Amino acid sequence: MARRSQFFLGLATAAVFILLEIAAIALLKSSAALQDVWVNRFSHNVSAVFWKGLTQTRDYFSLREQNDILAGRNYALFKELQQYKELAAIAGARSLLDSAKLEPRFNYIPAEIASMGTNSRHNFIVLNKGAADGVTPYSAVITPQGVVGIINSVDRKYSYALSFLNERVSVSARLGKEGLVAPLQWDGTGTDHAILSNIPSQLDIVPGDTVRTSGISSVYPADIPLGVTTGSRLIDGAVHVVDVKLFQDFAKLRYVIIAENPDRKTIEELEQ
Amino acid sequence: MKEGRFVLLCLLMLAVQVIFNQFFGLSRYVMFSLLPAIILMMPRNYGSVVLMLIAFAIGFAVDFFSGGLLGLSSLALVPVALVRHRLSGLVFGDGVDAGIDIQTLKRITYQKEVLFFFLSCALFFTVYVWADSAGTVAFWRALLLIVLSTVVSVPLCMYVSRILRPE
Repeated sequence: MARRSQFFLGLATAAVFILLEIAAIALLKSSAALQDVWVNRFSHNVSAVFWKGLTQTRDYFSLREQNDILAGRNYALFKELQQYKELAAIAGARSLLDSAKLEPRFNYIPAEIASMGTNSRHNFIVLNKGAADGVTPYSAVITPQGVVGIINSVDRKYSYALSFLNERVSVSARLGKEGLVAPLQWDGTGTDHAILSNIPSQLDIVPGDTVRTSGISSVYPADIPLGVTTGSRLIDGAVHVVDVKLFQDFAKLRYVIIAENPDRKTIEELEQ
Repeated sequence: MKEGRFVLLCLLMLAVQVIFNQFFGLSRYVMFSLLPAIILMMPRNYGSVVLMLIAFAIGFAVDFFSGGLLGLSSLALVPVALVRHRLSGLVFGDGVDAGIDIQTLKRITYQKEVLFFFLSCALFFTVYVWADSAGTVAFWRALLLIVLSTVVSVPLCMYVSRILRPE
């Protein structure tokens, strides 16, 4: 009780102090032009700091909304770009066959990461889109900066994917725009390194070459940039292993795109 | 009886302060103020709110009668009134709240008394010079003015405190 009354007394004292100081400043402001300008300038500075702080706070709390909007735009642009790329590739092939009907090869579904592991050698990702959204197993999980993983199993609302940071996952990649195709796999050391293996030893590897998805696989869309080569090592005197620095920062990953190939089963059956 | 004498002496000190302000035009180099001493010598049973109201009124009266900037002294004196109890507790120790009455005054050391007045005057002149210069005086010059005014006013305030509370 005594503590509470002391608190209210302190509050009243502070209020009286502020009121008296404001009254004194108001008197001062009205009694001299110099002080008037000074007080005005001071109040403008204070209000500027206040509004700046308020705006920054509001901006901070609206970041999620902005992120969602940007992710949506990112997805739409990516989808459009991929469709153009595919159409261009198909157009090139079809022009030889003199065909008019062109259809994109993949369906794209935007998704958000619900949960993700990066600390083990068999990392996984849980996405907030499932069978109800059209996600099917063995669809690719990608971003415009690279491959994130592959869908392993699907629930109605969620899907479980094997992360690219998983020793069991490998992506068919192409070295350079028209170069050699080789499997790209996580090297198990960091979240931004991978290796291209089985590169013939006679091939010259130039550091700085871009590595992209090859498009040969029925899982991953073609020409998604994955990373750049940083160096190479000769293994057993026969093959090169090329170190690749990935574009995708897995630590900042939040929004992804699920790329589903409706013809995948047909292609796999044909392959068998 | 004692309180009546105290009030009369306070009025006298206010008059002296008004005369100081009106006839000693040295405010560019150094300022004198007895006002912190009047606030510090107020009875210790006065709460902070009452002290602040008195400080405001005293400041207003001095500015009004000396033809100065209205509100300037009030602006500087109200913070002194606000921190008076805290400052005395800090300087003289918790058990000697506002140790300005007879018994306490005898017990406190001279150095503590100087420190008490020095801090109060420094606070007063910091706000006073800051508001009076309105950002037109260079920092080092303003600082020099604050230090000089504080150094000059501390012995004056201590002298006035002995007149106000001779016991």
